[in-house]
Amino acid sequence: MINELGKNIARFFVFLFIQVLILKHIDLSRFINPFLYVIFLLMLPIRTDKALVLFIAFFTGLTIDMFYNTMGVNAAACVFMAYCRPRVLRFYAPKGEYDSSAKPTIQSMGLPWVISYVSTMVFLHHFVLFFLEAFSFSSFFTTLAIIIVSGITTVGLIVLSQLIMQRRRI
Amino acid sequence: MYGIIAFFRRHYFAVLFVALEFFCLYFIFLGRAPGKDGRENYYQQARFVNSANSVAGSVYKTYSDITSYFNLKTVNERLAEENMQLHNDLASINDTVKRPKVPHANPYGEQFNFIAAAVIDNSTNQASNYLTLDIGKKQGIGEGMGVISPSGVVGVVISVSDHYSVVMSILHKNYQLSAMLKKGGTFGTITWKGDDYRFATLSQIPMSETVLVGDSIISSGYSTIYPKGISIGVVEKVEPIPTQYFYTIKVRLSTNFKKLRYVYVVSDLMRQERTELEDNAIKATSGK
Repeated sequence: MINELGKNIARFFVFLFIQVLILKHIDLSRFINPFLYVIFLLMLPIRTDKALVLFIAFFTGLTIDMFYNTMGVNAAACVFMAYCRPRVLRFYAPKGEYDSSAKPTIQSMGLPWVISYVSTMVFLHHFVLFFLEAFSFSSFFTTLAIIIVSGITTVGLIVLSQLIMQRRRI
Repeated sequence: MYGIIAFFRRHYFAVLFVALEFFCLYFIFLGRAPGKDGRENYYQQARFVNSANSVAGSVYKTYSDITSYFNLKTVNERLAEENMQLHNDLASINDTVKRPKVPHANPYGEQFNFIAAAVIDNSTNQASNYLTLDIGKKQGIGEGMGVISPSGVVGVVISVSDHYSVVMSILHKNYQLSAMLKKGGTFGTITWKGDDYRFATLSQIPMSETVLVGDSIISSGYSTIYPKGISIGVVEKVEPIPTQYFYTIKVRLSTNFKKLRYVYVVSDLMRQERTELEDNAIKATSGK
């Protein structure tokens, strides 16, 4: 239990630093703007209390906002994602419900499940994030393109990170 | 009463969600609300959620201290180049204008004071870009001060803490900069469309003016943020809008925002005097 908590705290800091020190400064294009840090929220144990997830998402988002100077935009996106989480989990639930020890990892749930769960959640997050940031629907299709391209990049990075973590058993 | 409690019990998750989203939207609106003179905002009040706070500031500072070693060479080259430029400027000023000697004189007389700062965080790929500087209130930085680089205009300070400050870059969708054509002196407004960090748009230049590709755009000096004549960029493409009798001009910015390491914060020593005078004039003419 303590071990699980420790791992989650470590993940929070590791992905926070990767996000604000590395990913924020890689500007290949305005369209490729991955937000890998959501992996921390996505990898919380499946049985985590949904209200607790909501609070964790709020503070994670605010921390990112602090570094990005985006004033609540990431927090809003994370909270929305956390609100949708129980429904998304129920939607992708395997036959006979989740194991009590089930984790949203490739080891535990398999690659297809992880890809569908992660991409659904990431697109929910990115949709709120980029539209709140644009603050208008005037450049609707540009924003949509940014969401799609960045979303695919984020999902790719999350799956890659999971594969790396799986190998190192962290 | 029991009905209300039962409602909250049943829907506590949704209520919690709405409450947290409300906080988020409150922060977002706080960051975007226009201030009293229309261009500043209440960003400062939400300092704990921007990178002027000591947590984010010190993380960026530490990281920048480490990474700055890797580009010392380019920074040195650029500083040498700037020194050369300043020497040239100084020489020509001494030749042409006989100003009375004042201590710490700078080319703008005693009106503007320049404070050097290191950029510890910067972005160019967002729709709203900000820089974080390693100096703050303790070094004399205040909100509303302009920030320039050796090559041109950078942005304006919008939030300060004791040791750090956040700068709204001109690469920000809400930023409007008063600019003028160096040749002819016609005024216009520089805005950024949010697509490319190298280009901005100059509008409100009437079609009666002749604008050529390669013409210089400089700051107008109409606001108290920048001195007059700081370089903004050069004309890249001119597009007339026939229905409005105005040009839309694509401007290649003279500041390379991707390579900013050191900047100067400009404090206008006469700013207060000027804004007071302007406010009084407005009050006097509005009949009160």
